[in-house]
Amino acid sequence: MIHAQGLSKRFKSHQKAPGFKGAIQSFFDRQFETKTAIENFDLEVAPGEIIGLLGPNGAGKTTLMKMFTGIIVPSEGSLNVLGTVPHKRSRDFRKQIALVMGQKSQLWWDLPALDSFLLLQKYYEIDKKTFEHRLNELSELLNVTKLLRVHVRKLSLGERMKLELMSSLLHDPKIIFLDEPTIGLDLVAQKNIRDFLLNYHGETGVTLILTSHYMADIQALAKRVVLVLEGQKRFDDSLEAFAGILGGAKMVAFRFGSVVKRQDPFFEPFSPLWNAEGTRVELNIPEDRLRELGQQILRDYPVVDFHTENLPIERVMAQLLERPELL
Amino acid sequence: MKVYLAKWGATMAVTWSNLLVYRVNFILQSIAPLFVFLLVKLSLWYRIYEGQPGLIGGYSFGQMAAYHLWVMITGLLVFNGNSQRISEDIRLGRITSYLIYPFSLWEFHGAGFLARTLLQTGIAIFTIFAALALLGGRLESPSFGPFVLGLLLAILGGVFWFWINYWVGLVAFWLEETWTLMVMLQIVTYFLSGAIIPLELYPEWLRTILLYSPFPYIAYGPAQLMMGNLEGVGRAFLVLGFWALVASWFAQWVWRRGLRLYTAAGI
Repeated sequence: MIHAQGLSKRFKSHQKAPGFKGAIQSFFDRQFETKTAIENFDLEVAPGEIIGLLGPNGAGKTTLMKMFTGIIVPSEGSLNVLGTVPHKRSRDFRKQIALVMGQKSQLWWDLPALDSFLLLQKYYEIDKKTFEHRLNELSELLNVTKLLRVHVRKLSLGERMKLELMSSLLHDPKIIFLDEPTIGLDLVAQKNIRDFLLNYHGETGVTLILTSHYMADIQALAKRVVLVLEGQKRFDDSLEAFAGILGGAKMVAFRFGSVVKRQDPFFEPFSPLWNAEGTRVELNIPEDRLRELGQQILRDYPVVDFHTENLPIERVMAQLLERPELL
Repeated sequence: MKVYLAKWGATMAVTWSNLLVYRVNFILQSIAPLFVFLLVKLSLWYRIYEGQPGLIGGYSFGQMAAYHLWVMITGLLVFNGNSQRISEDIRLGRITSYLIYPFSLWEFHGAGFLARTLLQTGIAIFTIFAALALLGGRLESPSFGPFVLGLLLAILGGVFWFWINYWVGLVAFWLEETWTLMVMLQIVTYFLSGAIIPLELYPEWLRTILLYSPFPYIAYGPAQLMMGNLEGVGRAFLVLGFWALVASWFAQWVWRRGLRLYTAAGI
């Protein structure tokens, strides 16, 4: 479905010192800087996979999405999506993909979503019967039937996002690229979108490529995780393998009966996360030391409660960003 | 072909819906040309003729008023470009959607242009009838044949102006702001096309050069035809057709070059 080999993308941008003086300087002597957004990136995606692209801001995830969808042209390397070179942007290719952008609306702001959908029906050459069937099916699944005739500008962000998603699915794409689809949504709306995507994938077997800063999205949807750091692929395996990068560490939360000194050097090696009062801490403890350290903390500190769980993917991610050498 | 036309039709329909959302805005936009014509241009020329009765550049006051009415009607059909929107779409990364849809950006803007032109045609018809009614017998009614030729030349002028607008909009791939470029181009075009004063008032040498440029044929030419003057009609269509082709080729070339620089900001 996607074959990328040695993919690189470099951007050239001009530098400007702040203020008026900087503007004058930049006018007469413009300094350019070339930034490598993606470097030597390989990726193979099979039909029906759900892949989560992970990485901090500026890592290159969105640049990858833009190359996969043919919006930007790679500087080097070969890329083939659905049997064609994306940046040639053939009409056939464009009819088979969809891009959902959480930060950018594709619907007409001043018109009801249905007007945008009717436009898309023509763009994607969907016959009337199929269109009506998909419209009813998707609006029921997403629970938006009553919103179709409301002006988009009057909708809440959650409602609008559902309709954005719907607009990307009307043409039954083979591959859907989702860039931060739940950004800015409340917890219930996030869950609704995730549940819908999971059901939709179950029913259609569509390929999903997802970027999100909400680890809950990745955890709920992705079976496979690709970690991008500074434009390079640093990890590509199952979600379970990703969670196990830190050697099967566990998250143990302790609640104390009285305030404990947050600077206590004992906790330092276990990436402590304290509450403001200093009465609760979360520690990453290697599985093989769980028993020994647990006993020691229970003995030496005023513990009133504790619990253990697998390390949440957020904490794996946070620790990897702090210490990329762990990879 | 039917499928292709349906895409253009749907884009035009959605453009109309969008234009009609804000009613007051639409009504003001519809009556503004007539208002400006009657109040500004007519009173200005009225004053000029008051101080110098007789002909100016071969025009009587009635002919001058008619010339400016037809220039205004032509302007309604020609100047429907949307370069600001195109540059904004590029700068803010909004063209991304049109790189994903199986319908190109130029088609989208072309259909929008056509939709606005058709709407402006309606406004032009309203303006003609209103002007004829208000000015009574002082305006000569146009004869059918030359009037239709004038309309066709204005539409060709519209096609030329669309590509020029599209091109200026695409300059946003390189420049952050294209507004000044468009304003400069617009002022030069108004001046050289005879939209401000008829070309007879320009020096002979400038008129000779202008005959090979597209400018006279997007205001002066259609207005002369609408006034029943058929002189040089063949050349008008040939020269303007040539420039419209050059402009469309150039805009597509700029698009291909610019797209390589596109970074799809903001997603």
